[in-house]
Amino acid sequence: MQFDWMKIPYSLLTLFIVINFGYLLNSFIAKIAARVGRRRGIPIWQTYIDVVKNYGLRTSITHGVMFYLGPVFRLSGGVGLLLFVPSIYGSYLFSNLSFAGDLILALYFVFFGTLGMALGAAESGHPYSAIGITRGLSQVTAAELPFALAIFSVALQYQTLSVTDIVAAQQGGILHWTLFTNPLAVVAAMLSFLGSMMRPPFDVVLAPQEIPIGPPTEYHSSYLALMQTNRAIFPIAKIVIYMNLFFGGATNWPVFFLKVFLIYMWSVFVGVAFPRFRVDQSIRWFLIWAVPIGVLSIVLV
Amino acid sequence: MALYEPDRSQYPVKKPDGTLDIDLSSGKYLKLWQGPQHPGITGNMSLELTVCGDEVVDCQTHVGYLHRGFEKLMERRTYIQCFPIVCRICVPEPDFNEYCYAAAVEELSGIKSPRRADWIRTLILEMGRINSYMMYLGGQAGSLGMGVIGQWTTYVRDLMLDRFEELTGARIYHMFILPGGVRDGLPEGFEKRMEETLREIESTMKDVYEAMFCNAVFKKRAIGLGYIDPTLIDPYGVTGPTARAAGVAKDVRKDFPYLVYPELDFEPVTGKDSDAFTRADVRRRDVLLSIDLIRQILDKMPHDGPLMAKIPNVLHWKVPRGETYIRAECSRGEYGYYLVSDGSGYPRRVNVRGPSYTHAVALLERLIINVNIADVAGLMVSLHTYPPEIER
Repeated sequence: MQFDWMKIPYSLLTLFIVINFGYLLNSFIAKIAARVGRRRGIPIWQTYIDVVKNYGLRTSITHGVMFYLGPVFRLSGGVGLLLFVPSIYGSYLFSNLSFAGDLILALYFVFFGTLGMALGAAESGHPYSAIGITRGLSQVTAAELPFALAIFSVALQYQTLSVTDIVAAQQGGILHWTLFTNPLAVVAAMLSFLGSMMRPPFDVVLAPQEIPIGPPTEYHSSYLALMQTNRAIFPIAKIVIYMNLFFGGATNWPVFFLKVFLIYMWSVFVGVAFPRFRVDQSIRWFLIWAVPIGVLSIVLV
Repeated sequence: MALYEPDRSQYPVKKPDGTLDIDLSSGKYLKLWQGPQHPGITGNMSLELTVCGDEVVDCQTHVGYLHRGFEKLMERRTYIQCFPIVCRICVPEPDFNEYCYAAAVEELSGIKSPRRADWIRTLILEMGRINSYMMYLGGQAGSLGMGVIGQWTTYVRDLMLDRFEELTGARIYHMFILPGGVRDGLPEGFEKRMEETLREIESTMKDVYEAMFCNAVFKKRAIGLGYIDPTLIDPYGVTGPTARAAGVAKDVRKDFPYLVYPELDFEPVTGKDSDAFTRADVRRRDVLLSIDLIRQILDKMPHDGPLMAKIPNVLHWKVPRGETYIRAECSRGEYGYYLVSDGSGYPRRVNVRGPSYTHAVALLERLIINVNIADVAGLMVSLHTYPPEIER
C-alpha cells in the first residue's frame, strides 16, 4: 500500500484545528453552565490562559515514571482516536489516517487513554486517585457496553467496519442518517455518550465533593496541562465517531463544527440539569436502560 | 431492589471493649481523610474514615482547625468588649449569638429591651435564617453534584445581604443587636425594598423546588440517606429542622417563646421520613415560613419608640452575680448561651450551645456507618453544621 506523506501535515492541521476548537468549546460550555447559574462566566479565552500557565510550570516532586507517563498515554489515546477517524467525509486529505477496519482501532483508542491514566494515577498513591480509578473502570465498562452494542448494530446494518464506508452509506439526504435508519442504536449510543463525557449525572470519576477530584488529584504543572489539552481533544474525537456513525458525518468544516457542537450540547444540557449518580446507581442505570436498547437494535437489524 | 448486599457480619469484628478490630495491613480497609481541605466537608473540620470497599465502617470526627477560644476570650473582656466577639462564632448566621448574648446580659442586669427593638431583633433573626438556609440549600445540592442550585441561592442570599447592609451597615458580621436594644431603626423605604427581595427569593425557591426537589436523580440520592430514628432525637440532643424532619415538632420559637414570636401567626414545619430529602424539604418550607414571618413583622412593627433601654456606662458595667441560660431557634436548631456572672465587670463563664456540636460529632459518627463514600458529603450537609460552633 502506497502511503501518501502529505497526509501527515494535514493530520497535524486537523489536530491543530480540533485543539483550538476544543479549548474554545470548553470555555463556551463553562460559560453556558455559568449562565444557567445566573452568572456571567469566564472569558472565552480563559482556557488558553490556564493551559499556557500550566505548561509554563515545572514540578519539583516525583511519583515515579509511570505517574508522568499517565497524561502522555491519555493524550496519545485522544490524538490516536482523532487521527484514525476521518474528520471530513469526501476530503482525501482530511480523512486523516483512517483505513478499512478503523472502527475497531477507534474503539481500542477510546479505552487506551483511560487505562494509561489508571496506571499513572495509581502510581501517585493517593487514595482518592485509587477510588477514582476503580469508579472509572467500573463505569466505563457499563457505559461502553451499549456503545459497543450500537456499533455492532451499525456494523451489521452497513456490513462494514470502515468508518468512511459507514459515512458514505448515510449520504444522500438527512433520512439516510443512521439516526433515522437505526434509531435504537443511536439511542443506545447517545445514552452511552452521556456516561463517557464526565459530566453529571455520570461524573463519578471526578466527583469533586466526594473524591476531589479522583485520578488527577496529584497532577499539577505541565502534566495537568497535558490532561487539559486532552480534555479539548478527546471529547471531540469521540464526538467525531458518533457524528460519523450516526449523524451522517461532515462534508466540510462548518458542518463539522456545528454537528460536534450540537452533539456535545446533549451532554451539557443533561449535565446542568441533574446531580450526580452514585457509581452503583450509574452502572445500574446503563444496564437497565441503555443495554437492552442496544441489544434490541441488534435484534432488529 | 439491591442487586448486591454486602455481608458485613464477619468484619470488622468488635473487640470485647466495644472498639472495632481494624487491621489496615489486611488489605480489607482503607483509611481516608475527608477534610479539613475538602469540598465535601462543611467548614473547618475533618472526618477520619475507615472504608471497606465503598462503605464507611468507622469514623472519627476531628475539630480544632478553627479554635480561637471564644469562650475563654470572653472571660478576659468586659461585657461590651465581648459583644463584637460573639458574632464570629457562626459566620453564616451570626445574629443568634448577638441576640442570645445580649438577652443573657440583659436578664442578669435586669434590663428590658424596648418593644420596637424586639421587633427589629426578630426581623434580623428571620433574615439571618433565610441567609443560612440559602447556603444550606446550595450546599446540599452541591454535595450531590448539582452546582447550579448553589449559584441561584448565592444570588438571592446576596440580595438579603444588601438588606442587611442597608439596615446594619455590614453584610456578614452585623454587630447590631446590643445588650439593651438595637443600634438603629429601619431606613427609609426599607419595607418596599425588602418586599422586592422576598419576591425574588420566592421566585428562586420555586425554581429550586422544580430543579432540585422534583429531580429524579436528587431523589434517588437523598431519599433514605441518613435516616435518624425519632427515638434518637432526645438522647443525641437533636434539635431544629433535623428533629422536625423526624416528626418531632421541636421549635424554640413555639416551645419557649421569645422576642415577639408569640404575636406572630405560624406553625413549625415538620416532616416524617427523617432522611436527607425530608430535612432538605423541611428547610425549604422553613424559608417560605420565614418569608411569611418577615412580612408579618414588617406589617405589625411599631414605627416609633425607643431602640435602646437605658444601660450603665459600658466602660464600668458590672453585671450582678447570677447565672442564666438563653435559647433561641436558629436555622440548625436550638442555640443557647449559658452566662455566669460573679458580679464583676467580666463574665465568669460563657458557654455557647451550638446545635452543630451534637449534630456533627456524635450524631454524624453514628449515622455515617455503612454509608457509601459518595454519600458522606451529602449526609454531613444534610445535618447542616457549622464547625466554629463546635470549637467555640
